[in-house]
Order: sequence, then C-alpha cells, then structure tokens
Amino acid sequence: MSIMIDIILAVLAIYLALQCLFAPRLTQTVFLFFAFGLALALAWVRLGAVDVAITEAAIASGFLGVLFLDALRDFSLAPPLKWDNLEVVHSSLATKNPKSLFLPRLALMLGLGLFLLIALEAVWKIPEGGGLTAAAEALLPESGVEHPVTAVLLNFRAYDTWLELGVILLGLLATFAVGGIKIYRKPPVVADDILLRQVILFFTPVLFLFGAFLLYFGKSGPGGAFQAAVLWGAIGILLHLGGRPVFSMIPRWLGQLSLTVGLGFFLILGFFLLAGGATLFEYPPAYAGVLILIIETLAAISIAAALTAIFANLNQMNKEESNQIESTN
Amino acid sequence: MDGFFIIVIVFLLLNIALGLFRVWRGPTVADRLLTTQLFGTTGMAILLVLAGYLKDLTLLNVAITFNVLAILLVIGLVQVWKKKKGETP
Amino acid sequence: MMIKEVITVILLVVGCFFFLAGTLGVLRFPDLFSRLHALTKADNLGLGFIAAGMALHIGSPWAVLKIFSIWFFTLLASSTSCYLIARFQKEKDQARNRKEEG
Repeated sequence: MSIMIDIILAVLAIYLALQCLFAPRLTQTVFLFFAFGLALALAWVRLGAVDVAITEAAIASGFLGVLFLDALRDFSLAPPLKWDNLEVVHSSLATKNPKSLFLPRLALMLGLGLFLLIALEAVWKIPEGGGLTAAAEALLPESGVEHPVTAVLLNFRAYDTWLELGVILLGLLATFAVGGIKIYRKPPVVADDILLRQVILFFTPVLFLFGAFLLYFGKSGPGGAFQAAVLWGAIGILLHLGGRPVFSMIPRWLGQLSLTVGLGFFLILGFFLLAGGATLFEYPPAYAGVLILIIETLAAISIAAALTAIFANLNQMNKEESNQIESTN
Repeated sequence: MDGFFIIVIVFLLLNIALGLFRVWRGPTVADRLLTTQLFGTTGMAILLVLAGYLKDLTLLNVAITFNVLAILLVIGLVQVWKKKKGETP
Repeated sequence: MMIKEVITVILLVVGCFFFLAGTLGVLRFPDLFSRLHALTKADNLGLGFIAAGMALHIGSPWAVLKIFSIWFFTLLASSTSCYLIARFQKEKDQARNRKEEG
C-alpha cells in the first residue's frame, strides 16, 4: 500500500527534474526547481535519510531560493541580445563547420557511457550487508556521539568534512574574484516597510534557536553542523535583505575570523593531535564528544558566514551591473 | 489507521502535482512564487502525516526547517526585485 | 480510543478539503489577488486542521508543542508573505499604468 507514495514521489521527482532542464522559460525553470527540492526532500524521508532531507529542505528552499531569485532578476534586467554582434562573434568561432562538432560529441558520449558503466558496476558490487553500516555501528561507543551519521561525518571521516569547509571557502573566494571587494562594502536597499522589518525581527531569533537545537540534536539524531549552518546563514541573508548587511557592520577582522574559524580550528587540532603522537583527527575517546561539539559549532559559524557573504556579494554585484545597464540605456 | 494516513499523503501529493500547472502557466513571478508557498505548506502537512505514519518524530524537524525558511523566499523576491527610480521593468 | 481515532480522521479529512480548495483556487481564480485569498485558506485552515489531527494522534507533549509551533509560524509567515506579495504586485502594476499613461 505504501508503495503508492513511493511511486508518486518517484514520478514527480523525475518529471520535475526533466522539466527543470527543458522548460522553455527561465522563470518556470527556477520555480519548478523549488518544487523539485520539495519532492526530493520527501523522497529522502521515504528512504530513511532524515539528515539529508533536512539539508535538502534548508538549501533548496532557503539558500538556493534567494540566490536564484537574485540571478533571475539579473537576467530579466539584461538588455535584449543584439543579433548583429552575435553573428560576428559566432562566425569568428571555430565551430562554424558542423562537421567539426562530430568528434567532441563522440568523445562526450563515449565518456558518459564509460562513466555510466563504471557506476553500474559499483552499484552491482555493493555487498549484501549494506556496506559499512555494521562497522560504523560497532565503533559508535568510541566516537563520542550516539548518531552514526554524525560519528561518520565528524569522527571517522573528519578529513572529508574538513576539506568540505575548504570547498565552501573557495566558493566564496570565487565570488570575490568575479565581483571584487570594493562592491562588498556598499550598503543595500533598506527595508522601508514596518511589517517587513518586524517579521525579520521575529524570525531572526527563531532561526537562531532552531539552528542551535539542530546543532546540539546532531549528537543523538538527525541534524548537525551543516543544517544549523544553513539556518544561521539564513539569518545573515534576512538581515542583509532588511538593510542590515552583517559584514559591513562588524569590524573587518571579525568577519575574516568568522569565515575561517571552522577550517582553522580543524587544522590546529589536527596539528596538535599529530604532535601528540596520534594520527590526524584521531580524537582521544574521553574528550571526543566535547571536541565534536566545539568543532561543529565553529564549523557552523564558518559556513553560515560564508553563505551570507556569498549572497551579499552576488546581490551587490547584480545591483552594480544593473545600474550600469540603466545608465547606458 | 495506517491505510487512511497513506490515502491522505497520496491525496496531498496529487494536490502538489495539480498545482504544478500554475507554476508552469502563472503569468507573473508573484503567481509562481505563491504557488511555491502553497507547495511548501502542503509539504509540511505531508511531513506531519508521515511523522504519524512512520512513528518517527524527527520528521517534525524537517517540517520546521521548511517552515522557518518559507518567509525567506518572499522577502527575497520583494527586496531583490524592488524597483529603483528610473528603472525599466 | 475509538473516539480519538474518529476525531483524528475527521480533522484530517477537513484539512484535506481545505488543501484541495486552496489548490483549486490557485488554479482557477482569475487574478493574483484572489489567488492569494485561496492560498491563505490552505495555509491557515488546511494546515491547522491537519496539525490538530496529528497532534491528537501522536500525543507526546514535546511533539504537540513542535506541531503547534509549526502552525503558529505558518500563520505568521503566510499572512505576512501574502501582504508582501500583494504590495509587490500592486507597485509593479502602478508603475506599468503610469508608463502607459505618460
């Protein structure tokens, strides 16, 4: 009987994914993507992965939502394409001859086919007992937490999590490279509506408290640093949208510190553990619980600051460009 | 009781599928956005019923996540798309 | 026990009815402002009845607190977002009208 839910969810998710790729207009694509995120979160719940469902819910409906709306506005303001220029650019490219496209297409198809074959083989070879679940469960008492997902993310495979923090920081650096730091300091549009200001004021502490709850709950159930970080990042985005850009209001060193503290604490901890004779990120079991909680908090602060900064950067960059378009018109 | 919960969940999922038509068609951005808000609320209702059906109370946390972030999209639309003086729409 | 289950079923069915009404309203109503009206029905009453039904079914105090905080936040968020969307659209329409006249 419950297979009906799964069938509808599967059909809905695949249909929405295809529509996201092939819908004729950009607005349709963006808003269908939100529905896709919802279907995906429900599918993760049905698969029993509540951690992933929370992350999907937070990222798809919160962070990506405002980023996409921002990008959509940018596209809607862009001047119509000038076809004459396009012709010139097009004819100067080497792809004028349709025959020259044959080889890249063949290579792409072969590569994709090979990748699919390898993926199929990997899926085929998964052992019967569900992979490494038993091994993770057996070592759970030594990890300092009670939830296997948190134990894997922050203890057994802490190296991966550390590098993920670095990846998020690299994403922020990429927006710096595109936008430049001088725009980063300009104040945004101030919220002139009293209801808007009040709802931001109401939801800021709610987001903070629920993020802190998820962070602490990650010890014993689904939740953790990444979920909390997106909620805390949403605070920064809300304040930015309400005319209080966090990074323009705190001193520069504090902003830089909050961006790097997650990566840095991991690094220093690993260094001390190595100096003490252990391997990298091999926590002493007595202090593992406390250490994981500290790492999670600092990582969440770092990721939240990075998400806020990415949004602030892109938002201000768009404003700058649209002003230029306006003045040239 | 479980069978009834499944019927409710399927019904709400079909509601989402029906509402997709408005996202597809909706003449303005605001139309599409309000349909997305409706999807978010329907998703929360589905999660509440699923929490009762699967007897897994952590699903309520997923619902609260959707819940507290729902306002973000609207404020994003209103503030990001805010008109400035002399701007061509 | 039986009475509790019957009340749960009734509350869920009423909630489903309001969700269907909201979806049909969003689909069928002619313009944005009347569609907003349909949306708030689903948000306030539909989710409210389903939350009440599930709170009755689950019954543990912590979960009931969470479910009602979900409903409370939705009430706040949906009424505010309705106002914001309507104001956004109205300002856009006014700007377009001014442009056509001038």
